[in-house]
Amino acid sequence: MIEASEVRLSHFQSMLLFALVISIAFGFLSRRRPLDRVKYILWSLFLFLVIGIGIGWAMYPFSK
Amino acid sequence: MPGGASTTDARVADPSVFAPARPAKQADGMQNQSKAFAIAVAGWLVPGLGHALLKMWGRAVACFLTVGVLVFLGAGMRGNIFNSSGVDAFDRLGYAADLGTGCFYFFARAMESQGPDVSHANGDYGTRFLATAGILNLLAALHAFEAARGHKA
Repeated sequence: MIEASEVRLSHFQSMLLFALVISIAFGFLSRRRPLDRVKYILWSLFLFLVIGIGIGWAMYPFSK
Repeated sequence: MPGGASTTDARVADPSVFAPARPAKQADGMQNQSKAFAIAVAGWLVPGLGHALLKMWGRAVACFLTVGVLVFLGAGMRGNIFNSSGVDAFDRLGYAADLGTGCFYFFARAMESQGPDVSHANGDYGTRFLATAGILNLLAALHAFEAARGHKA
């Protein structure tokens, strides 16, 4: 068994990490040149965060 | 030139002149397909290995690290790692997604010694991280398969 300390993240930290990791993977898989990869990663990360936060705000009225 | 023209005419008239070339080409194609399939399976079993076999080092490292980080975080957050004894379709779907991580599935099981805890948001996120790691690795294996077949990747 591998003993590992439990990871505790807030909602935002979880979303940020998820978006960052997935953006990096997509960037490397879909683009060849380093500059194109960086652009894709940043754009994808931005969209992940904007859409994620946007959906969060859109759901806010129904959470009560 | 009369000589050249007559040779061409003979080939056109007798298609069997080209016959030996076709099986060789088909065998080559089959070999490429088998190689591409083996690369895809390798990429599924060990994230990034498919790309490493194709000497796509950047993509290999990126696949290994991103899938590894997602599995590490997912198991560390005590997400649910599904097993083969699922009772409903969602469990079986989750099992298929988790299996997508290849050998990291067993790493996640070994790491999560205390079992899942989905009573908190952290555990729920962890479940999604693990499933995403699996799907991402399957996507990477498919990408390696296409690249090995010579398609644009």
